[in-house]
Amino acid sequence: MDKIGKQNRIKRILAVRGMGQVITVTIGLIILCIVFSIVNPIFFSGKNIANLLRQIAPILIIGIGQSYVLITGNIDLSIGSVIGMSCMISATMMTKGVNPWAAVFVTFICCLAAGVLNGELVSRCKLPPFIATLGTMTIARGIAQIVNNNYNTGSIGEAAKGFRNFFYYGKTAGIYNAIWITIVLWIVFNFLLSKTRTGRHIYAIGSNVDAARLSGVNVHSTTIKVYVVSAICACTVGLMTCATTGMGTMDAGNGYEMYAVAASVIGGVSTLGGQGILLGTVVGASIWGVLQNGLQFAGAPVAIRNITIGIIVVVSVLLDVVVRTGKHRKKAN
Amino acid sequence: MKRKVLSIVICLCMVFAVACSKDKTTSGSGTTNKEKKSETETSTNTKNQAKSKTSKVYLITMDQMDQHWVNVDAGCRKAVGELSNIDYEWLAPDVKDDAKQIECINNAVAGGANVILLAANGPDAVTSALKEAEAAGVKIIYVDSAAAYPAIQTLATDNEAAGKTAGEEMVKGLKAAGKTEGKIGIVNVNSATASCVAREKGFRSAFEGTSFELLETQYGEGDAAKSKDIAANYITSGCVGLFGANEGSTVGIGIAIQEAGDTVIGVGFDKSDTILELINGGHLLCTMAQNPDVMGYEGMKTAAKAIAGEDTGEANIDTGVTALTKN
Repeated sequence: MDKIGKQNRIKRILAVRGMGQVITVTIGLIILCIVFSIVNPIFFSGKNIANLLRQIAPILIIGIGQSYVLITGNIDLSIGSVIGMSCMISATMMTKGVNPWAAVFVTFICCLAAGVLNGELVSRCKLPPFIATLGTMTIARGIAQIVNNNYNTGSIGEAAKGFRNFFYYGKTAGIYNAIWITIVLWIVFNFLLSKTRTGRHIYAIGSNVDAARLSGVNVHSTTIKVYVVSAICACTVGLMTCATTGMGTMDAGNGYEMYAVAASVIGGVSTLGGQGILLGTVVGASIWGVLQNGLQFAGAPVAIRNITIGIIVVVSVLLDVVVRTGKHRKKAN
Repeated sequence: MKRKVLSIVICLCMVFAVACSKDKTTSGSGTTNKEKKSETETSTNTKNQAKSKTSKVYLITMDQMDQHWVNVDAGCRKAVGELSNIDYEWLAPDVKDDAKQIECINNAVAGGANVILLAANGPDAVTSALKEAEAAGVKIIYVDSAAAYPAIQTLATDNEAAGKTAGEEMVKGLKAAGKTEGKIGIVNVNSATASCVAREKGFRSAFEGTSFELLETQYGEGDAAKSKDIAANYITSGCVGLFGANEGSTVGIGIAIQEAGDTVIGVGFDKSDTILELINGGHLLCTMAQNPDVMGYEGMKTAAKAIAGEDTGEANIDTGVTALTKN
């Protein structure tokens, strides 16, 4: 009796869309960790693991945002620039003596506006998401540059110490706050995606937008929602970057949108939409972070690291495609 | 009839526009520095008293805002004060822009320049304007950055030599801390930024013959947050020294050392508020700052020699770096 119950539970877990890929890449992640620990034992030290988790945190947060957008079959290229914008707006205000929390609030509103703009351009104006977010990417980077007259800001100073501790340096229950923020965001957004009606609508749009519309899904508002989620995630990472460095950098987040795509895709989120779970994004972001960190400890040249990461992205997607076409063939037979 | 009136109106508009734009470009540079203007006025007065021929020298930089250029200008003015017979003016576009810099060069030629001290925006954009200037008898000297056109002299920071100075400072710091061996981590921008690659090359050369181990270079794209992650990994793997090749990299290593609280020696490049704060907090040993005032000063001296027809010396002058330490 008990055995059957157990089997059913396993079957149910495996039945979740995209779970197969998550399991494969998790095995890959474990192998990577073992290999790196053998090559350089420091990799597995407590100090490095604390650092490593904190290095994964920003990638995972933007990965969550990008996964939301990818699941609807769209893409958000503006993530990196919104990070830069968030970092510069908050830092500039803090250097001008604004209360850090007020600065955070204003930054948050600005980033929300970027998200809504993305959503409106894609769903109401029917622009291809690649083009629309390419536009907002450039605009947001421009805003990042203009807020402090084309210069990086100076130090945000002592007044912002609480802000810096909250977003990055502080510890709660022995774990860095950056990691706590990531965990909270993940739980909230995972709940939203897997347990609510909005979540189901997001998958529905990604699977077949017309069918979703005909069944009464509000495609317009749902699209705006996913872009807003993406902007919230990018905003958080921007604030985290500002807290880390204690200054605003115009180039902050340069190229991060592609890290977010990589984390999502390695974790089994399909760029064609309708596929993927946030658990996969966790594994994807971890693989990315472990590679960056581990290969440095292994003393590998940067070129090797780039090649390895590229291969892993391609192979993990290839694996997914092969598995899926295999399944289709079986069904056809 | 109507057509005639219209054409006259258009002609007047064009004349007005030309007059306005000319006014703008000349007044733009003049109003930026009233002090400078008055100084040149007084210097011309003294020259008139001496009844000697004055020569015009223009400094053209990438923009007017950056402190770096203000310091080049200060160096020039210092030299002008020591020399006689130089009528000096600083021209620069309001923002970094190739077309606007070309406009400045043309304005300088039109203003009767004998020598132009130029900090070229890029290697190629200004070459045809320089060709025209030279044809008009203007001598060209580069300060800070050269264009791909032959000139009398280039006065700039030799990045490789500067990197070597940084390396020597680090070796000194490590020895003072009683360390003669260990791992050194290098945080660079990317493999494409020539100046930073040269700095790294120089830095590495300073360690020849020591028993320090230089680790594989890591690239942080000049992003302080990314550089911080890299530096933290270096510290975890037991590095005794860290090198940052530009501002972002230097901030990155500084905050990583600050957080770790370890006795890692950090040496960086460039000058900014955050970097100076990290140095004064004791988290970084020093940073390499360029000497823009030397570029301006020596550039002006070369200009005077060129006007007098004297030998101007070597084609490339290294204006060196100053290691800024805790004060």
